[in-house]
Amino acid sequence: MREHVVTAFLVADSDGMSALSVDLGRKLSALLSEKGYEVERIDLTRADAAPCRGCLLCLTKHPGRCVTQDAVGALALRIHHEREPYICLTVSPVLFGHLASTIKNAMDRGVHSHHLQVVVGYGEDVDEEEESTFIDLIARHRGAADIVHPGMDREFLAYVTRSVQDNDAICDSLGVRL
Amino acid sequence: MTADSSKIRVCLVNGSLRGRHASSLRFLQDVARRISDASCHKTTVMVLGNPRRHYDAETLQVIAAADALVLVFPLYAYGLPGALMRLLEEFDSYVRAGNPHNMNARVYVVVNCAFPRPEATTGEAVRVVRNVCRRLSLNWRFAICIGTGPVVARTRRIPLLDRTLKRAYAAVVADIGNALADPPADFFIHPVIPEPIIRRIKEHYEKKGEMMLQRDIQNEAPTR
Repeated sequence: MREHVVTAFLVADSDGMSALSVDLGRKLSALLSEKGYEVERIDLTRADAAPCRGCLLCLTKHPGRCVTQDAVGALALRIHHEREPYICLTVSPVLFGHLASTIKNAMDRGVHSHHLQVVVGYGEDVDEEEESTFIDLIARHRGAADIVHPGMDREFLAYVTRSVQDNDAICDSLGVRL
Repeated sequence: MTADSSKIRVCLVNGSLRGRHASSLRFLQDVARRISDASCHKTTVMVLGNPRRHYDAETLQVIAAADALVLVFPLYAYGLPGALMRLLEEFDSYVRAGNPHNMNARVYVVVNCAFPRPEATTGEAVRVVRNVCRRLSLNWRFAICIGTGPVVARTRRIPLLDRTLKRAYAAVVADIGNALADPPADFFIHPVIPEPIIRRIKEHYEKKGEMMLQRDIQNEAPTR
């Protein structure tokens, strides 16, 4: 057991929910609790997550504070000021090999972890090229592959699920890492 | 809105929310300026910043009816901006609902990233648009991938500096007018400022941001 309870943010797209994502969310919550994490579930609607305006003021003027004050802005600020280690699991529909817009808006605006970021995409009709695009897109953020921040050692894990069997396999794989 | 049926319908999509300050807008205007008004009917679609609003039917019809779609957007975290993704989601729903769309529409991308080596950062965003084309039976053509967009936007008109961008624009315009049998490979545009200097500028802002964060944390310490 670890000395301190670590928070795990479980961020999902409530507008894009399906039977598959409900099953995945339930299994991930159970896994995180079993591993001793304090799970904080955040279901975002499209109204909660305005798109990033690209003003860069969250980097240059007032770090972590987004000019758009909505649920994602509040969450991003909280995460930015969080000094204790935390992890973030993001669950998103996969469309064209990309995150859904609500989740992408949240990630664009700083909802992610500097310790461990897990991104799980779901969709029963995701094809192989879309799965590969999705995994490669997330892997760009990881370690040496991140040419923007070379040497960054934070972990980004990416998975795609098409079935409840895939959900089980993802939880088994994550269970080893957690 | 009615368009002359003999003209090529070109829909330019501005995927940036930065308004008139956006480098993406400058690149979009560069392309639009080169497309002939005599032979083409041009429409520009802006992505929505308000998450509560939906795209109206007229906007989706313009995209569906286009003979050529030019998507111009900034790279966000190696992918598409969420605002552009929302437009694609709504267009996908529009098509899935059985509305007709031009399956032969030619699709071009102008992607603008903050980093100096576009060949290392823009690949996945272009693949996503290729997936859109595959799913919706659109005709993928090629991409213009621009590194350090703000620098390229400010230096693009300096004569004789780098003609690749102008050649890339010319290729888009020529292909819209008369589809080339073999579309060219993607174009990669590099900034004129050397990469080590761009890294220094980035590090300056990162350091400044970290200093401001530490100051904020100290100021907030008693209440935390």
